[in-house]
Amino acid sequence: MQQRDGGLDPITLEVVRNKLDGIANEMQQTLLRSSFSPIVKEGLDASASLFTVEGETLAQACAIPVHLGTLIPVVAKILELFPVAKMKAGDAFIMNEPYQGGTHLPDIAIVTPIVAKDGRVVAISAAMTHHQDMGGMSPGSVPTNAVEIFQEGLRIPPLRFRENGEYNETLVSLIRQNVRIPNTVMGDLNAQLAACNVGARRVGELVDALGHNLVGAIFENLLEKSEQLTRAALRSIPEGTYSYVDYNDNDGIELDKRIKFQVAVTIKDGNFHVDFTGSSPQVRGPFNAVPSGALAAACFAIRAVTDPNIPTNAGCFRPISLELPVGSIVNPVEPAPVNARTATIKRMAGCILGALRPAVPERVPADSSGEMLAIMFGGLRQSGESFVVGELVAGGSGAGLTSDGVDVIETDVSNCMNLPVEAMEMEAPIRVHQVALRSGSGGAGKQRGGLGIVKEYEVLEGEVRFTHRGERHMCAASGSNGGEAGAMAISQIFRTNGQTEEIPSKMMAVLQKGDRVVVTTAGGGGNGPANLRDPRLQEADVKDEKISPTARP
Amino acid sequence: MTGRLEIGVDIGGTFTDVVMREPGKDIKFFKLPTTRKDPSEAVVAALKHIQSTWGLQPNDLVKFAHGTTIATNAVLERKGAAIGIITTKGFRDILEIGRQSRRQMYDVVLEPQPPVFLAPRRFRQEVSERVAPSGEVLTKLDESALRHAVDKLVKEGVQSIAIVFLFAFANPAHERRAKQLISEWYPDLAISISSEVDPHFREYERTVATAFDAYVKPTVAKYLENLERSLKEEGVGAPLQVMQSRGGLTVSEVARMRPIRLFLSGPAGGVVGGKIAGTSANAENIITIDIGGTSADIALISKRKPLIRPEGIIGDYAVRVAMVDVNTIGSGGGSIARVEGGSLRVGPHSAGSEPGPACYGRGGKQATVCDASVLLGYLDPDYFAGGSLKLNPALAHEAVQKDVAQPLGISLERAALGIHRVLNAQMAEGIRAVSVRQGVDQREFSLMPLGGAGGLHATALATELKMTKVVIPRIPGVLAAAGLLAAPIEHEVSAAFSQPLAQLSVDAVNQALAQLDEAASKLMQAERVQRAEVTVTYYADVCFIGQSYALEINFDPRTPGLAERLYEDFLIAHDRIYGHAVRVPAKLVALRAIHQAAGSDTIEEMKVPPTSAPIELGTRKIWVSGFDQPVEARVLNREALPVGFKFSGPALVQQSDTTTLVEPGWNGVVDDAANVILTKG
Repeated sequence: MQQRDGGLDPITLEVVRNKLDGIANEMQQTLLRSSFSPIVKEGLDASASLFTVEGETLAQACAIPVHLGTLIPVVAKILELFPVAKMKAGDAFIMNEPYQGGTHLPDIAIVTPIVAKDGRVVAISAAMTHHQDMGGMSPGSVPTNAVEIFQEGLRIPPLRFRENGEYNETLVSLIRQNVRIPNTVMGDLNAQLAACNVGARRVGELVDALGHNLVGAIFENLLEKSEQLTRAALRSIPEGTYSYVDYNDNDGIELDKRIKFQVAVTIKDGNFHVDFTGSSPQVRGPFNAVPSGALAAACFAIRAVTDPNIPTNAGCFRPISLELPVGSIVNPVEPAPVNARTATIKRMAGCILGALRPAVPERVPADSSGEMLAIMFGGLRQSGESFVVGELVAGGSGAGLTSDGVDVIETDVSNCMNLPVEAMEMEAPIRVHQVALRSGSGGAGKQRGGLGIVKEYEVLEGEVRFTHRGERHMCAASGSNGGEAGAMAISQIFRTNGQTEEIPSKMMAVLQKGDRVVVTTAGGGGNGPANLRDPRLQEADVKDEKISPTARP
Repeated sequence: MTGRLEIGVDIGGTFTDVVMREPGKDIKFFKLPTTRKDPSEAVVAALKHIQSTWGLQPNDLVKFAHGTTIATNAVLERKGAAIGIITTKGFRDILEIGRQSRRQMYDVVLEPQPPVFLAPRRFRQEVSERVAPSGEVLTKLDESALRHAVDKLVKEGVQSIAIVFLFAFANPAHERRAKQLISEWYPDLAISISSEVDPHFREYERTVATAFDAYVKPTVAKYLENLERSLKEEGVGAPLQVMQSRGGLTVSEVARMRPIRLFLSGPAGGVVGGKIAGTSANAENIITIDIGGTSADIALISKRKPLIRPEGIIGDYAVRVAMVDVNTIGSGGGSIARVEGGSLRVGPHSAGSEPGPACYGRGGKQATVCDASVLLGYLDPDYFAGGSLKLNPALAHEAVQKDVAQPLGISLERAALGIHRVLNAQMAEGIRAVSVRQGVDQREFSLMPLGGAGGLHATALATELKMTKVVIPRIPGVLAAAGLLAAPIEHEVSAAFSQPLAQLSVDAVNQALAQLDEAASKLMQAERVQRAEVTVTYYADVCFIGQSYALEINFDPRTPGLAERLYEDFLIAHDRIYGHAVRVPAKLVALRAIHQAAGSDTIEEMKVPPTSAPIELGTRKIWVSGFDQPVEARVLNREALPVGFKFSGPALVQQSDTTTLVEPGWNGVVDDAANVILTKG
């Protein structure tokens, strides 16, 4: 690297690219390892990445797409309010405000400048973590029954969090006062700073070795290369406008009203235009997604349908443009509540992929359940100790052209782990009686859709506050190319007095000792006509009791 | 002659390496081709070789230590036993549901993520029984249902059974009873129970560990029994010892009962070998990088101890069993270089050994790292792999010109250097990632290159990582076999133990440790060691309350104020590895006892004296990073270098199985233990 002539050497370019990937991974490692709360460690719900001074993603670790997409508008907002020219080493900025570029209140972003020896800012480090609590009307700050954002927790607009390496004590004190678990929140914020510092140190070294101008040129070149490759891949998709419609069950408030997602994706001349016109108006409940959500869904989809070997950076996302009607479920107006937006972003991603399926049938499977059932039990033990335990439960994935869907797996923009039965029972007076594949729930087809799950819980000590936030209870995952839809989700409460209550997708209920809850998640759609299924696969499915629910011995 | 002879035999995919030590004499070593079909044939051949070459008799042997890839191969080649899994009623699908997350974030056409191949659904049966988190029995084991389930599995043809009941780590009675019953009904079935294999919470991880144990058990047992018999037939009186994944040996009879502990048997020998070579060079902190054709293995040794990870990766699957922390990255000498979208890419595809790099002349057409090494002058085409393979520089030239130089519009040499620079950047990031994960600063470590291609990248990697010392062992090619001779006999036994540190009962800890000690002592009895020789260390797994992952903390149960001491040590470890520590309540989740006997930090006899061949092999023009013109490198014959010999880069140090590139700015010296030490100066 010593004797460069100032021109862009393709070797140095690739060396720098490898380093940037390594740096982003090291930031991510630091973030996950040093974070405190279980939601980060079990749910991997934290992401770090590097940005250019123009606010474009330079390198990102393999973290959850819903964060990486949403960091883009956050960094843009910070750069708008705190110009790069005035940033100094030791600065750090913070925000979680959805209506200024954030996503929902528990997701707090920390953004820091990367400053070279000469004092100039050469790049930006950013880290986003889902915090365990941000105050508001319910522990965990994701209240299903919120009807305005003020109920959801502390809103932090773009603010300076550190200056010269010193905390903004006023702000720290305000945050600590407003959250239920201040030590944990501060511990996780420290982890975010630690991750940003890794980026600052290592990119700083890179700039010291190569010089400011060369590094800037390399960054731009890397983005251009990814942009060119992405556009080339898009050009290999037949041009046209592709449409799709799918639904979510309801907003948890108006239970009989389905939420419509209508998308038109236009592939033209290497561009990727996503138009959600025709989608439902914003809803009263917390399922609205601010525009960062649609961007995250589009970023995921464009990566999924182009060549996975293209280095992931902002260049991949430059072809994207979005049309998001104001006042709709995908672009709500303040103060609409937004905490449960994951279900909405997941469905948006599913719709974009569904639209593109006819254009790239080998890349896009039939619809996945695309549901992340969130359930939570909370109450007091007889000893007086309080408990809250929650888990996220997946359904089946859609079948590909040549492969069956996968049973019970996280898809698209989220990727959370489930909670072990043994962890749940140690933490709360709940007994789990069953964790099983849901026979017969995969959509039939030449390739079968993945199965959902059956889980059965019994309350051992009453009373327990129970929250259930499902999807696919009222609208199944469609099959494709003649394949059939997967089974819909069903959840029920079995009371000790013999009564059964059906859970209408979203519910908050009080459970008593002895009450049982059985949740089943949806199956994925099948692909291709069922009569073309390989008899050997069919036979294996029967033997494994995956297709005949009554065949249990 | 009285029995004083010790032998280490490491069976790898291609070669079986043998190292033999007789106290006070130079060690002897040789390589034989591995006999894939029955690896024990190579062992017998090795014994014959020893007899015919040195006139040594099998009954002279007092130690026979073995490193094997048998368990790993059974998984990679899907050649383990047909197994059945028996679970608590309602939970037979735990294996298939897994943790519901996916490895590749942007994949949409998905593949199952857990190792379902171990036991598809029809091979998983349920029986009624239930234990509460406290260990209390809620539902008694239904023995007739068990009989029914086992009969069904046997009818399906299973040879091995894994039993995983919920909360068996809190109360193993039902699992033990089931094992006893099944072994009465079907004495030939292999049985693995979760409370023995992996007695810790999280049912999916415990199921995977137990199922893998069951899967490899019959294969491992058959192999080791064969080997024991062969040795006996050849007149070897010494017990067969097998290397376990943590870097300790055990006698074959015990290894057969705990096969899950053998997945890293081979690499663990290499890490112990790295440790003893490092110790002989006064380097107690070592990062080894073993660069082969398709991949590179990175391992860390800190303060003479191989770093251990609590969960390893076998094939594509995470398996919760402790092993030396060997990390594989997909870059090696055979990595293919190509231009994509105007950028030079190196790997992850590899030309492997067939057809291999273009310069092998076996039909490979694509440019590889090895081809670049030939063009840069690092490899002597006539002396590759000790002269066993003649390289063709013209084919290397053609491939690099066509695939890299021409598309990028740069000279052949710049293209070849570029391939090296990109590969080195990838490997440096790999080393950094492992260091970060283990919470160490790689600058405080010495780099030890191993494998056929390690030496070519050593000084470049060290420079990149700001490491100032490189150690080239005297016998890098058979270090894993040498490691077998230095490894201790080791038994590790652990149990779940859940208690907040604030309410820690030292009596309860001591009771639990006494049970662990009893179990470990029982295992030690088979090893023919005296009780006085055994050293015992204890570890506690500690985490903050609410945290999911624990850190292993070494402790002495006699320490006054045990809980406080554990807490303080935990905070220090948390700060080292995770970068911060908050003073909030912590809890103990598991206890572990490790019993060790014998073992040594180094092997004096590894200092093999120089041969009488000429030291200087002439000079060669080579291209190195940072110079626009080729530089003249001295070529040295490693086997002939005497102790105290000094030289400076640019130089190439050649030996039969590897070549070390010493870049300008690095100085070399042969130390008292015959290692070559390179320092930047």
